[in-house]
Amino acid sequence: MWEHRAIYVAISPFYILFAVFGLFPIGFSLYLAFHKWDGIGIMTYNGFNNFKYMLTDAEFWQAVGNTFMIWIYSTIPMLFFALIIAFLLHAPFVKFRTLFRVGYFLPNVTSIVAVAIIFGALFANNYGFLNYLLQSVGLPVVEWMNAPWGIKVAISSMVVWRWTGYNAVIYLAGLQSIPQTLYEAAKIDGASAIQSFFRITIPMLRPVILFTVITSTIGGMQLFTEPQVLVGNDGGAGAAGMTIVLYLYRESFINNYFGYGAAVGWGMFLIIALFSIVNWKLVQGKSS
Amino acid sequence: MVCVLLISGCSIWPGQDDSANNKKVTLTLWYWNRSIDDKLIARAKEKFPNIELTAQKIGGDFKAKLKTTLAARSGEPDIVALNDWIMELFPSEDRFYNLYDLGAGDIEDQYLPWKWKQGVTPNGQMIGFPMDTGPTALFYREDLFKEAGLPSDPEDVTRQMNSWDAYAAAGEKIKEKFGGKVFLTDNIATVYNQVLSQSAERYFRPDGSFIGMDSPTVRKSWDTAVAFKEKGLLANADGWTPGWNAAMNNGEVASFVGAVWMKQVLQEAAPDTSGKWRVARAPGGDGNNGGSFLSILKSSEHPQEAFELVRWLQSPENQLEQYQTLNLFPSAPGVFDDPAMKEKEPFFGGQATGPVFAESAQQVPDAFFGERYPSVHNIITRRLNDIAKQNANPQQVWTDTVHRVERELQR
Repeated sequence: MWEHRAIYVAISPFYILFAVFGLFPIGFSLYLAFHKWDGIGIMTYNGFNNFKYMLTDAEFWQAVGNTFMIWIYSTIPMLFFALIIAFLLHAPFVKFRTLFRVGYFLPNVTSIVAVAIIFGALFANNYGFLNYLLQSVGLPVVEWMNAPWGIKVAISSMVVWRWTGYNAVIYLAGLQSIPQTLYEAAKIDGASAIQSFFRITIPMLRPVILFTVITSTIGGMQLFTEPQVLVGNDGGAGAAGMTIVLYLYRESFINNYFGYGAAVGWGMFLIIALFSIVNWKLVQGKSS
Repeated sequence: MVCVLLISGCSIWPGQDDSANNKKVTLTLWYWNRSIDDKLIARAKEKFPNIELTAQKIGGDFKAKLKTTLAARSGEPDIVALNDWIMELFPSEDRFYNLYDLGAGDIEDQYLPWKWKQGVTPNGQMIGFPMDTGPTALFYREDLFKEAGLPSDPEDVTRQMNSWDAYAAAGEKIKEKFGGKVFLTDNIATVYNQVLSQSAERYFRPDGSFIGMDSPTVRKSWDTAVAFKEKGLLANADGWTPGWNAAMNNGEVASFVGAVWMKQVLQEAAPDTSGKWRVARAPGGDGNNGGSFLSILKSSEHPQEAFELVRWLQSPENQLEQYQTLNLFPSAPGVFDDPAMKEKEPFFGGQATGPVFAESAQQVPDAFFGERYPSVHNIITRRLNDIAKQNANPQQVWTDTVHRVERELQR
């Protein structure tokens, strides 16, 4: 080993950085989850109390439910639109493809804070753009930011807007890896465009779809900035926009329960792990 | 060796001519934008030639940055500005110098007693030196009040709307006159906060014990807020949102009880209504909302110099100056009679609002907050919003809130 030290030195920055910014915080948060700490004073051992409190905490379960609902509201339309966009971008008749790809990817590099402010103006109860449109065609206004589903729709639409292009680009890469000969063979056998879409495109895209579902799940479970900027630290009216990470943030950094916040973090880790396994099973099973 | 001892001995010896050895004391000050006037800081550097002052304007989440620094126990400033969340730091009082030990007691009588006490922990340690305060008053639209047949002169308003019931009755008149297009006030949290801020009692006793949700203060604040919702007097415009600004600017809200710093917020939110607003004493009594403090951290090596600087920065004269430059309301009542506090303001139709807030500031009740005040208060105002915006059953929400607060106190 010693004679290869130059190589180990060369690869060491990653491990050092990972140990400092990855491993240590993970270990520390586990330690913290069993303690009571206001962030400044002394830590006191608290056993499993943080976890017990979490499991009996209605607000935590509401946050889990909200996160799950927002994830459904956003992921299904998002992946559906992404697939259609990717299919169109892949079609031979489309010109200026690079321009479109960049265009669809643009929302992903826009600051979420800016996005949330714009969507806040769109969905505002009074003087919001959507309500202005509804009123101008004679429909009654919707109190988007007061209704539990309205807040969730507003947050979900931000997620859809931001991530559709990203997923479309991934689907496009998947589409381009499907051999053209398969489509030609299907054509010769007399298959219609729809048949070849469902019989060739979708099955061949299976691993890519699995990838996007898993990343969307992890991203969806970690949703934070969108609701925080849109509805504030308390999750808006009736805490309808309170997601798990927002709850974790509020309990730790606003209410100073750092130990409890760490426990919530570990709870979220378990939920994400469970969810990813379920997703994996579902997507695998459906297409095989 | 002897040489070194002589030099160092010389520099630590107090009472010597400082300019002779030219040794400067370095002090770091953390503050946020508009909490201290930058010109005043520049003058402090001239005033204290022996201090090398590094004043850092901390942006973003000031509280989180301070707490992270305190937790890390390194890179702490010598002097730090604290907002009205000062009570959250009371359990960590050992991280701050007791300002009484540095001579704060000598000037205690120059400041408002209730404000001074907010910087003193239950153990009698003074960790926060008074900066500005937030006495509250009623902001109202003179034109709308007049149109609705209500008193519109500030003194008449003060006299006739002296209770929350009288104020609510005025709200019903406004509702009737404008057919529900103009609301008496902005949101349910404002009403609850202001009724609560007028009382000497909050949620906790100085020994830390919980007074209980059935205390007359909490019940009165809650019931008043719920009554305002049930009578349809709330515009449901939350503070710090574009919706609030729009509601103010479009004349949808006829009045609200707010702290003195709302003058600035209102002027920026509702430029089109300039000249139409007035300020009267708040219904139900005077209260305080907000205000800041300066603290000296235990890690500072030069607490005495830091204290002299703090004392000078927040001297009554300098507080008066900052009232003129930054609208920071003084906590030193000695300057309340200064002509600068009585200047007429065009936004308020030429009314001098300073004396209204000065009167209010002197009547604020002493109140003990306790370090868990923010979390309990937040639970309650959050649930009140469910009543206001989602038409939740008030009785049901009350029961839930009592349960939620009890759970909160158990952890």
